[in-house]
Amino acid sequence: MNASPVIAVTGLHRGENPQPGSAVIRSLRRIYPELRIIGLVYDSLESGLFSEEDAPDAAFTMSYPGAGVEAFWQRLDAIREIEHFDVLIPCLDAEMGPLVDSPEKLRERGIRACLPTAESFKCRDKSKLAELCERTHCRTPQTIAVSDVNSLHQAAAALGGNVFVKGRFYEARHAITPAAREAAYWHMLEQWGAPVLVQENVQGEEYNVVGLGDGTGRILGSCSIRKMLRTSSGKGFGGMIVRDPQLDAIAQSLIEELRWNGPFELEFVKSEGPKGEYCLIEINPRFPAWCDFPSTLNCNLPAAAFELALGWQPREPLRHAIPGKFFIRHAIDMTGDIRDLAALTTTGQFFRQPREIIPHPASSHGL
Amino acid sequence: MKLAPLPSLIRPHGQQHELEPAGITAPAAIPGAESSSFHFHTVTWQADGFGFDSTSGEFFTASPTALIVMQALSEGIARQQILDRLTTRFEVARSTAERDLESFLAELVHIGLTPESN
Repeated sequence: MNASPVIAVTGLHRGENPQPGSAVIRSLRRIYPELRIIGLVYDSLESGLFSEEDAPDAAFTMSYPGAGVEAFWQRLDAIREIEHFDVLIPCLDAEMGPLVDSPEKLRERGIRACLPTAESFKCRDKSKLAELCERTHCRTPQTIAVSDVNSLHQAAAALGGNVFVKGRFYEARHAITPAAREAAYWHMLEQWGAPVLVQENVQGEEYNVVGLGDGTGRILGSCSIRKMLRTSSGKGFGGMIVRDPQLDAIAQSLIEELRWNGPFELEFVKSEGPKGEYCLIEINPRFPAWCDFPSTLNCNLPAAAFELALGWQPREPLRHAIPGKFFIRHAIDMTGDIRDLAALTTTGQFFRQPREIIPHPASSHGL
Repeated sequence: MKLAPLPSLIRPHGQQHELEPAGITAPAAIPGAESSSFHFHTVTWQADGFGFDSTSGEFFTASPTALIVMQALSEGIARQQILDRLTTRFEVARSTAERDLESFLAELVHIGLTPESN
Protein backbone atom coordinates (compact mmCIF):
# COMPACT_ATOMS: atom_id res chain seq x y z
CA MET A 1 0.00 0.00 0.00
CA ASN A 2 1.14 3.55 -0.67
CA ALA A 3 2.33 5.56 2.36
CA SER A 4 -0.49 7.95 1.59
CA PRO A 5 -3.41 5.94 0.18
CA VAL A 6 -4.44 6.54 -3.43
CA ILE A 7 -8.10 6.11 -4.33
CA ALA A 8 -9.82 5.34 -7.63
CA VAL A 9 -13.35 6.51 -8.37
CA THR A 10 -15.61 5.80 -11.36
CA GLY A 11 -18.71 7.49 -12.80
CA LEU A 12 -17.54 11.07 -13.36
CA HIS A 13 -20.15 12.32 -15.80
CA ARG A 14 -22.62 14.81 -14.35
CA GLY A 15 -24.89 15.21 -17.34
CA GLU A 16 -28.64 14.92 -17.62
CA ASN A 17 -28.45 11.62 -15.75
CA PRO A 18 -25.66 12.51 -13.31
CA GLN A 19 -23.26 9.86 -12.07
CA PRO A 20 -22.02 9.94 -8.46
CA GLY A 21 -18.21 9.92 -8.92
CA SER A 22 -17.64 13.68 -8.93
CA ALA A 23 -19.77 14.09 -5.80
CA VAL A 24 -17.73 11.34 -4.12
CA ILE A 25 -14.47 13.14 -5.05
CA ARG A 26 -15.79 16.44 -3.73
CA SER A 27 -16.77 14.83 -0.42
CA LEU A 28 -13.39 13.08 -0.06
CA ARG A 29 -11.56 16.36 -0.63
CA ARG A 30 -13.65 18.07 2.06
CA ILE A 31 -11.90 15.85 4.63
CA TYR A 32 -8.71 14.88 2.79
CA PRO A 33 -7.77 17.82 0.53
CA GLU A 34 -4.38 16.31 -0.38
CA LEU A 35 -5.69 12.84 -1.23
CA ARG A 36 -4.52 11.54 -4.62
CA ILE A 37 -7.58 10.53 -6.61
CA ILE A 38 -7.65 8.57 -9.85
CA GLY A 39 -10.67 8.73 -12.15
CA LEU A 40 -11.61 5.61 -14.09
CA VAL A 41 -13.74 6.72 -17.03
CA TYR A 42 -15.58 5.10 -19.92
CA ASP A 43 -15.65 8.19 -22.09
CA SER A 44 -13.13 10.97 -22.61
CA LEU A 45 -15.95 13.51 -22.33
CA GLU A 46 -17.02 12.61 -18.79
CA SER A 47 -17.69 16.10 -17.44
CA GLY A 48 -16.04 15.62 -14.04
CA LEU A 49 -12.63 15.43 -15.75
CA PHE A 50 -12.84 19.09 -16.61
CA SER A 51 -14.15 20.46 -13.33
CA GLU A 52 -12.08 22.89 -11.29
CA GLU A 53 -13.17 21.42 -7.97
CA ASP A 54 -14.11 17.78 -8.54
CA ALA A 55 -11.54 16.62 -11.08
CA PRO A 56 -9.31 13.64 -10.29
CA ASP A 57 -5.53 14.08 -10.29
CA ALA A 58 -5.27 11.60 -13.13
CA ALA A 59 -7.74 9.66 -15.25
CA PHE A 60 -7.66 6.45 -17.25
CA THR A 61 -10.12 5.03 -19.72
CA MET A 62 -11.66 1.70 -18.78
CA SER A 63 -12.89 -1.06 -21.07
CA TYR A 64 -16.66 -1.07 -21.49
CA PRO A 65 -18.56 -3.64 -19.39
CA GLY A 66 -19.66 -5.20 -22.69
CA ALA A 67 -16.03 -6.19 -23.36
CA GLY A 68 -16.27 -8.78 -20.61
CA VAL A 69 -14.99 -9.37 -17.11
CA GLU A 70 -11.48 -10.45 -18.16
CA ALA A 71 -10.95 -7.24 -20.12
CA PHE A 72 -12.10 -5.29 -17.02
CA TRP A 73 -9.50 -6.90 -14.75
CA GLN A 74 -6.74 -6.67 -17.38
CA ARG A 75 -7.35 -2.97 -17.82
CA LEU A 76 -7.40 -2.44 -14.06
CA ASP A 77 -4.01 -4.20 -13.81
CA ALA A 78 -2.57 -2.11 -16.64
CA ILE A 79 -3.73 1.10 -14.93
CA ARG A 80 -2.25 -0.01 -11.60
CA GLU A 81 1.15 -0.42 -13.21
CA ILE A 82 1.06 3.32 -13.81
CA GLU A 83 -1.00 4.43 -10.77
CA HIS A 84 -0.93 1.89 -7.97
CA PHE A 85 -4.21 2.85 -6.29
CA ASP A 86 -5.15 1.24 -2.97
CA VAL A 87 -8.88 1.87 -2.64
CA LEU A 88 -11.68 1.66 -5.21
CA ILE A 89 -15.09 3.31 -4.89
CA PRO A 90 -17.19 2.01 -7.81
CA CYS A 91 -20.05 4.38 -8.62
CA LEU A 92 -21.83 2.65 -11.50
CA ASP A 93 -24.31 -0.21 -11.15
CA ALA A 94 -22.94 -2.09 -14.15
CA GLU A 95 -19.49 -2.37 -12.52
CA MET A 96 -20.78 -3.80 -9.29
CA GLY A 97 -21.53 -7.34 -10.54
CA PRO A 98 -17.95 -8.29 -11.50
CA LEU A 99 -16.60 -6.74 -8.30
CA VAL A 100 -18.97 -8.38 -5.80
CA ASP A 101 -18.71 -11.72 -7.62
CA SER A 102 -14.91 -11.80 -7.28
CA PRO A 103 -13.84 -10.15 -4.02
CA GLU A 104 -10.76 -12.41 -4.06
CA LYS A 105 -9.56 -10.70 -7.24
CA LEU A 106 -9.57 -7.39 -5.40
CA ARG A 107 -7.91 -8.93 -2.35
CA GLU A 108 -5.10 -10.60 -4.29
CA ARG A 109 -4.32 -7.27 -5.94
CA GLY A 110 -4.36 -5.47 -2.59
CA ILE A 111 -7.27 -3.25 -3.61
CA ARG A 112 -9.52 -2.25 -0.70
CA ALA A 113 -13.19 -1.61 -1.31
CA CYS A 114 -16.34 -1.30 0.72
CA LEU A 115 -18.60 -3.77 -1.08
CA PRO A 116 -21.61 -5.94 -0.21
CA THR A 117 -21.38 -9.72 -0.40
CA ALA A 118 -22.57 -11.35 -3.62
CA GLU A 119 -25.56 -12.73 -1.70
CA SER A 120 -26.78 -9.41 -0.33
CA PHE A 121 -26.10 -7.78 -3.70
CA LYS A 122 -28.39 -10.31 -5.42
CA CYS A 123 -31.10 -10.00 -2.77
CA ARG A 124 -31.53 -6.27 -3.60
CA ASP A 125 -31.77 -6.89 -7.33
CA LYS A 126 -34.89 -5.29 -8.82
CA SER A 127 -36.26 -8.71 -9.72
CA LYS A 128 -35.83 -10.00 -6.11
CA LEU A 129 -37.14 -6.95 -4.28
CA ALA A 130 -40.55 -8.48 -3.56
CA GLU A 131 -38.96 -11.37 -1.60
CA LEU A 132 -36.79 -8.99 0.42
CA CYS A 133 -39.78 -6.79 1.17
CA GLU A 134 -41.86 -9.76 2.27
CA ARG A 135 -39.17 -10.71 4.79
CA THR A 136 -38.92 -7.15 6.12
CA HIS A 137 -42.66 -6.31 5.97
CA CYS A 138 -41.98 -3.39 3.66
CA ARG A 139 -44.34 -2.45 0.83
CA THR A 140 -43.04 -2.60 -2.73
CA PRO A 141 -44.80 -2.21 -6.08
CA GLN A 142 -45.51 -5.40 -7.98
CA THR A 143 -42.73 -5.96 -10.50
CA ILE A 144 -42.59 -8.51 -13.31
CA ALA A 145 -39.40 -9.32 -15.26
CA VAL A 146 -40.02 -9.85 -18.98
CA SER A 147 -37.83 -10.87 -21.90
CA ASP A 148 -40.21 -10.65 -24.84
CA VAL A 149 -42.95 -8.36 -26.11
CA ASN A 150 -45.86 -10.75 -25.44
CA SER A 151 -44.82 -11.10 -21.79
CA LEU A 152 -44.46 -7.32 -21.62
CA HIS A 153 -48.10 -6.75 -22.58
CA GLN A 154 -49.34 -9.58 -20.36
CA ALA A 155 -47.42 -8.15 -17.39
CA ALA A 156 -48.72 -4.63 -18.06
CA ALA A 157 -52.31 -5.92 -18.27
CA ALA A 158 -51.88 -7.81 -15.00
CA LEU A 159 -50.65 -4.59 -13.35
CA GLY A 160 -53.55 -2.46 -14.59
CA GLY A 161 -51.97 -1.00 -17.75
CA ASN A 162 -50.55 2.11 -16.08
CA VAL A 163 -46.97 0.94 -15.47
CA PHE A 164 -43.30 1.84 -15.44
CA VAL A 165 -40.99 0.01 -17.84
CA LYS A 166 -37.54 -0.14 -16.26
CA GLY A 167 -34.03 -1.07 -17.33
CA ARG A 168 -32.09 -3.73 -15.48
CA PHE A 169 -29.63 -1.19 -14.08
CA TYR A 170 -30.98 2.30 -14.81
CA GLU A 171 -33.87 4.23 -16.30
CA ALA A 172 -37.61 4.03 -16.01
CA ARG A 173 -40.31 5.21 -18.38
CA HIS A 174 -43.94 5.73 -17.52
CA ALA A 175 -46.00 3.93 -20.16
CA ILE A 176 -49.76 3.71 -20.47
CA THR A 177 -50.33 2.74 -24.10
CA PRO A 178 -49.12 -0.51 -25.73
CA ALA A 179 -47.04 1.51 -28.22
CA ALA A 180 -45.31 3.47 -25.43
CA ARG A 181 -44.65 0.24 -23.54
CA GLU A 182 -43.09 -1.40 -26.59
CA ALA A 183 -40.91 1.62 -27.35
CA ALA A 184 -39.73 1.69 -23.73
CA TYR A 185 -39.15 -2.08 -23.78
CA TRP A 186 -36.86 -1.97 -26.84
CA HIS A 187 -35.01 1.04 -25.47
CA MET A 188 -34.32 -0.66 -22.11
CA LEU A 189 -33.34 -3.91 -23.79
CA GLU A 190 -30.88 -2.15 -26.06
CA GLN A 191 -29.40 -0.01 -23.27
CA TRP A 192 -29.27 -2.40 -20.35
CA GLY A 193 -29.97 -5.91 -21.64
CA ALA A 194 -32.55 -8.46 -20.47
CA PRO A 195 -34.64 -8.75 -18.45
CA VAL A 196 -36.73 -5.61 -18.70
CA LEU A 197 -38.91 -4.89 -15.66
CA VAL A 198 -42.56 -3.90 -15.66
CA GLN A 199 -43.59 -2.19 -12.43
CA GLU A 200 -46.92 -1.14 -10.97
CA ASN A 201 -47.28 2.66 -10.84
CA VAL A 202 -47.51 3.88 -7.25
CA GLN A 203 -48.35 7.58 -7.10
CA GLY A 204 -47.01 9.83 -4.39
CA GLU A 205 -44.01 11.78 -3.17
CA GLU A 206 -40.53 10.31 -3.68
CA TYR A 207 -38.18 9.82 -0.74
CA ASN A 208 -34.56 8.66 -0.91
CA VAL A 209 -32.19 7.48 1.81
CA VAL A 210 -28.43 7.47 1.31
CA GLY A 211 -26.37 5.56 3.84
CA LEU A 212 -23.41 3.39 4.66
CA GLY A 213 -23.76 -0.14 6.04
CA ASP A 214 -21.01 -1.82 8.06
CA GLY A 215 -21.74 -5.39 6.92
CA THR A 216 -23.14 -6.54 10.27
CA GLY A 217 -26.58 -4.98 9.83
CA ARG A 218 -25.78 -1.57 11.26
CA ILE A 219 -26.15 1.72 9.43
CA LEU A 220 -23.10 3.87 10.20
CA GLY A 221 -24.73 7.01 8.89
CA SER A 222 -27.63 8.04 6.69
CA CYS A 223 -29.52 11.01 5.32
CA SER A 224 -33.11 11.04 4.02
CA ILE A 225 -34.60 13.48 1.54
CA ARG A 226 -37.88 14.18 -0.21
CA LYS A 227 -37.31 14.87 -3.89
CA MET A 228 -38.39 18.46 -4.52
CA LEU A 229 -37.48 18.83 -8.17
CA ARG A 230 -37.33 16.17 -10.84
CA THR A 231 -36.03 16.14 -14.40
CA SER A 232 -38.25 14.90 -17.21
CA SER A 233 -36.65 11.47 -16.73
CA GLY A 234 -37.48 11.47 -13.01
CA LYS A 235 -33.99 12.23 -11.71
CA GLY A 236 -33.88 14.29 -8.52
CA PHE A 237 -32.67 17.83 -9.13
CA GLY A 238 -33.43 19.07 -5.65
CA GLY A 239 -34.14 17.46 -2.30
CA MET A 240 -35.29 18.48 1.18
CA ILE A 241 -33.87 16.69 4.23
CA VAL A 242 -36.51 14.92 6.31
CA ARG A 243 -36.37 12.95 9.54
CA ASP A 244 -39.16 10.43 9.81
CA PRO A 245 -38.73 7.66 12.42
CA GLN A 246 -40.92 5.40 10.28
CA LEU A 247 -38.63 5.83 7.26
CA ASP A 248 -35.53 5.33 9.45
CA ALA A 249 -37.01 2.09 10.82
CA ILE A 250 -37.75 0.72 7.33
CA ALA A 251 -34.22 1.57 6.16
CA GLN A 252 -32.75 -0.09 9.25
CA SER A 253 -34.76 -3.30 8.77
CA LEU A 254 -33.75 -3.57 5.09
CA ILE A 255 -30.04 -3.02 5.77
CA GLU A 256 -30.13 -5.36 8.74
CA GLU A 257 -31.77 -8.10 6.67
CA LEU A 258 -29.21 -7.66 3.88
CA ARG A 259 -26.27 -7.19 6.27
CA TRP A 260 -25.27 -4.58 3.74
CA ASN A 261 -21.64 -3.54 3.55
CA GLY A 262 -20.87 -0.22 1.88
CA PRO A 263 -22.81 2.64 0.36
CA PHE A 264 -26.47 2.34 -0.60
CA GLU A 265 -29.41 4.41 -1.73
CA LEU A 266 -32.99 3.36 -0.96
CA GLU A 267 -35.70 4.81 -3.20
CA PHE A 268 -39.27 5.04 -1.91
CA VAL A 269 -42.60 6.45 -3.00
CA LYS A 270 -44.97 7.43 -0.22
CA SER A 271 -48.55 7.00 -1.34
CA GLU A 272 -50.70 10.10 -1.04
CA GLY A 273 -52.98 10.87 1.89
CA PRO A 274 -52.63 11.00 5.66
CA LYS A 275 -52.23 7.22 5.85
CA GLY A 276 -49.71 7.04 3.02
CA GLU A 277 -47.18 4.23 3.32
CA TYR A 278 -43.59 4.07 2.14
CA CYS A 279 -43.24 1.77 -0.82
CA LEU A 280 -39.71 0.59 -1.75
CA ILE A 281 -38.99 1.17 -5.43
CA GLU A 282 -35.37 0.04 -5.57
CA ILE A 283 -32.06 -0.25 -3.75
CA ASN A 284 -29.02 1.17 -5.50
CA PRO A 285 -25.78 -0.58 -4.46
CA ARG A 286 -23.67 2.59 -4.52
CA PHE A 287 -23.67 6.26 -3.63
CA PRO A 288 -26.22 8.46 -5.43
CA ALA A 289 -25.23 11.61 -7.35
CA TRP A 290 -26.48 13.78 -4.43
CA CYS A 291 -24.12 12.18 -1.87
CA ASP A 292 -22.03 15.34 -1.46
CA PHE A 293 -25.00 17.30 -0.13
CA PRO A 294 -25.05 15.56 3.31
CA SER A 295 -21.25 16.01 3.42
CA THR A 296 -21.82 19.75 3.68
CA LEU A 297 -23.84 19.04 6.85
CA ASN A 298 -21.44 16.84 8.87
CA CYS A 299 -22.54 13.58 7.30
CA ASN A 300 -19.63 12.79 4.96
CA LEU A 301 -20.48 9.25 3.87
CA PRO A 302 -17.89 8.95 1.03
CA ALA A 303 -15.08 9.85 3.45
CA ALA A 304 -16.45 7.30 5.92
CA ALA A 305 -16.57 4.65 3.16
CA PHE A 306 -12.94 5.39 2.34
CA GLU A 307 -11.99 5.04 6.02
CA LEU A 308 -14.04 1.85 6.36
CA ALA A 309 -12.34 0.31 3.31
CA LEU A 310 -8.94 0.99 4.87
CA GLY A 311 -10.02 -0.33 8.27
CA TRP A 312 -9.52 3.11 9.81
CA GLN A 313 -11.57 4.46 12.65
CA PRO A 314 -14.01 7.05 11.24
CA ARG A 315 -12.47 10.48 11.59
CA GLU A 316 -15.67 12.03 12.86
CA PRO A 317 -19.13 10.80 13.89
CA LEU A 318 -21.73 10.83 11.12
CA ARG A 319 -24.69 12.97 12.01
CA HIS A 320 -28.11 12.82 10.43
CA ALA A 321 -28.38 16.18 8.72
CA ILE A 322 -30.95 18.66 10.00
CA PRO A 323 -34.42 18.62 8.38
CA GLY A 324 -35.10 21.80 6.48
CA LYS A 325 -31.77 21.93 4.68
CA PHE A 326 -32.17 21.29 0.98
CA PHE A 327 -30.12 21.05 -2.19
CA ILE A 328 -30.80 22.34 -5.65
CA ARG A 329 -28.65 21.11 -8.49
CA HIS A 330 -27.07 23.83 -10.61
CA ALA A 331 -25.64 22.96 -14.03
CA ILE A 332 -22.66 25.00 -15.16
CA ASP A 333 -20.35 24.99 -18.17
CA MET A 334 -16.81 23.57 -17.87
CA THR A 335 -13.85 24.66 -19.89
CA GLY A 336 -11.81 21.81 -21.34
CA ASP A 337 -8.60 21.81 -23.29
CA ILE A 338 -8.12 19.85 -26.49
CA ARG A 339 -4.74 18.58 -25.17
CA ASP A 340 -6.46 16.76 -22.28
CA LEU A 341 -8.99 15.28 -24.64
CA ALA A 342 -6.23 14.19 -27.02
CA ALA A 343 -4.27 12.54 -24.21
CA LEU A 344 -7.26 10.52 -23.04
CA THR A 345 -8.36 9.58 -26.51
CA THR A 346 -4.96 8.47 -27.82
CA THR A 347 -3.20 7.06 -24.74
CA GLY A 348 -6.16 6.34 -22.47
CA GLN A 349 -4.61 8.41 -19.69
CA PHE A 350 -4.52 11.99 -18.57
CA PHE A 351 -2.64 13.73 -15.75
CA ARG A 352 -4.04 16.95 -14.46
CA GLN A 353 -1.83 19.97 -15.03
CA PRO A 354 -2.13 23.22 -13.13
CA ARG A 355 -4.52 25.53 -14.95
CA GLU A 356 -3.01 28.24 -17.08
CA ILE A 357 -3.71 31.68 -15.70
CA ILE A 358 -4.21 34.20 -18.46
CA PRO A 359 -3.49 37.64 -17.01
CA HIS A 360 -5.77 40.52 -17.83
CA PRO A 361 -3.85 43.07 -19.96
CA ALA A 362 -4.63 45.76 -17.43
CA SER A 363 -2.97 43.78 -14.61
CA SER A 364 0.54 44.67 -15.90
CA HIS A 365 -0.17 48.34 -15.34
CA GLY A 366 0.05 49.84 -11.92
CA LEU A 367 -3.13 51.13 -10.37
CA MET B 1 -61.79 43.33 11.87
CA LYS B 2 -63.69 40.53 10.18
CA LEU B 3 -62.85 36.94 10.65
CA ALA B 4 -61.43 35.68 7.39
CA PRO B 5 -63.17 32.65 6.01
CA LEU B 6 -61.17 29.65 7.12
CA PRO B 7 -59.04 28.46 4.34
CA SER B 8 -59.46 26.09 1.51
CA LEU B 9 -56.39 24.27 0.28
CA ILE B 10 -54.66 24.62 -3.00
CA ARG B 11 -51.37 23.33 -4.32
CA PRO B 12 -50.01 26.05 -6.56
CA HIS B 13 -46.78 24.31 -7.62
CA GLY B 14 -47.50 20.68 -6.70
CA GLN B 15 -45.25 21.24 -3.69
CA GLN B 16 -46.48 23.85 -1.35
CA HIS B 17 -49.82 23.72 0.43
CA GLU B 18 -51.38 27.11 0.83
CA LEU B 19 -53.82 27.83 3.62
CA GLU B 20 -54.73 31.35 2.63
CA PRO B 21 -58.21 32.88 2.51
CA ALA B 22 -58.95 34.65 -0.73
CA GLY B 23 -58.77 38.43 -0.68
CA ILE B 24 -56.99 38.66 2.66
CA THR B 25 -53.51 40.08 2.92
CA ALA B 26 -51.63 38.36 5.69
CA PRO B 27 -49.99 40.68 8.20
CA ALA B 28 -46.34 40.15 9.10
CA ALA B 29 -47.22 38.36 12.32
CA ILE B 30 -50.20 36.56 13.84
CA PRO B 31 -52.34 38.99 15.82
CA GLY B 32 -51.94 38.11 19.44
CA ALA B 33 -49.29 35.48 18.86
CA GLU B 34 -47.02 35.22 21.86
CA SER B 35 -44.13 33.24 20.43
CA SER B 36 -42.39 33.38 17.06
CA SER B 37 -42.97 29.71 16.27
CA PHE B 38 -44.98 26.74 17.51
CA HIS B 39 -45.33 23.05 16.75
CA PHE B 40 -48.60 21.65 15.60
CA HIS B 41 -48.71 17.93 14.83
CA THR B 42 -45.50 17.41 12.78
CA VAL B 43 -45.33 20.96 11.45
CA THR B 44 -43.36 23.88 12.86
CA TRP B 45 -45.21 27.14 12.13
CA GLN B 46 -43.51 30.51 11.98
CA ALA B 47 -45.31 33.71 12.90
CA ASP B 48 -45.27 34.77 9.24
CA GLY B 49 -47.46 31.78 8.35
CA PHE B 50 -44.81 29.49 6.89
CA GLY B 51 -44.94 25.89 8.10
CA PHE B 52 -42.41 23.07 7.59
CA ASP B 53 -43.08 19.37 8.23
CA SER B 54 -39.72 17.79 9.10
CA THR B 55 -41.02 14.22 8.70
CA SER B 56 -42.47 14.65 5.22
CA GLY B 57 -40.37 17.56 3.95
CA GLU B 58 -43.52 19.39 2.85
CA PHE B 59 -44.08 23.06 3.47
CA PHE B 60 -47.21 25.16 3.80
CA THR B 61 -48.45 28.69 4.15
CA ALA B 62 -51.37 29.60 6.39
CA SER B 63 -53.55 32.66 6.91
CA PRO B 64 -53.38 34.53 10.25
CA THR B 65 -56.74 33.04 11.34
CA ALA B 66 -55.60 29.53 10.47
CA LEU B 67 -52.49 30.08 12.56
CA ILE B 68 -54.57 31.18 15.54
CA VAL B 69 -56.65 28.02 15.33
CA MET B 70 -53.62 25.73 14.96
CA GLN B 71 -51.78 27.45 17.80
CA ALA B 72 -54.84 26.98 20.01
CA LEU B 73 -55.07 23.30 19.02
CA SER B 74 -51.36 22.86 19.77
CA GLU B 75 -52.02 24.20 23.28
CA GLY B 76 -54.79 21.65 23.76
CA ILE B 77 -57.54 24.25 23.84
CA ALA B 78 -61.06 22.88 23.34
CA ARG B 79 -63.22 23.90 20.39
CA GLN B 80 -65.57 26.06 22.42
CA GLN B 81 -62.65 28.04 23.78
CA ILE B 82 -61.18 28.37 20.29
CA LEU B 83 -64.51 29.84 19.20
CA ASP B 84 -64.38 32.21 22.21
CA ARG B 85 -60.91 33.29 21.14
CA LEU B 86 -62.00 33.89 17.55
CA THR B 87 -65.19 35.76 18.39
CA THR B 88 -63.37 37.92 20.95
CA ARG B 89 -60.60 38.79 18.56
CA PHE B 90 -62.69 39.27 15.42
CA GLU B 91 -66.12 40.66 14.67
CA VAL B 92 -67.83 37.49 13.62
CA ALA B 93 -71.03 35.68 14.48
CA ARG B 94 -70.42 32.60 16.60
CA SER B 95 -72.40 30.42 14.19
CA THR B 96 -70.25 31.59 11.27
CA ALA B 97 -67.04 31.01 13.19
CA GLU B 98 -68.26 27.55 14.22
CA ARG B 99 -69.08 26.57 10.64
CA ASP B 100 -65.71 27.80 9.37
CA LEU B 101 -63.83 26.10 12.18
CA GLU B 102 -65.47 22.73 11.41
CA SER B 103 -64.63 23.14 7.76
CA PHE B 104 -61.00 24.02 8.57
CA LEU B 105 -60.59 21.06 10.94
CA ALA B 106 -61.89 18.76 8.21
CA GLU B 107 -59.29 20.20 5.82
CA LEU B 108 -56.54 19.53 8.36
CA VAL B 109 -57.61 15.91 8.69
CA HIS B 110 -57.81 15.57 4.91
CA ILE B 111 -54.19 16.60 4.37
CA GLY B 112 -52.98 14.69 7.42
CA LEU B 113 -51.99 17.69 9.49
CA THR B 114 -53.85 16.51 12.55
CA PRO B 115 -55.04 13.16 13.85
CA GLU B 116 -58.76 12.56 13.40
CA SER B 117 -59.18 12.35 17.17
CA ASN B 118 -58.55 16.12 17.35
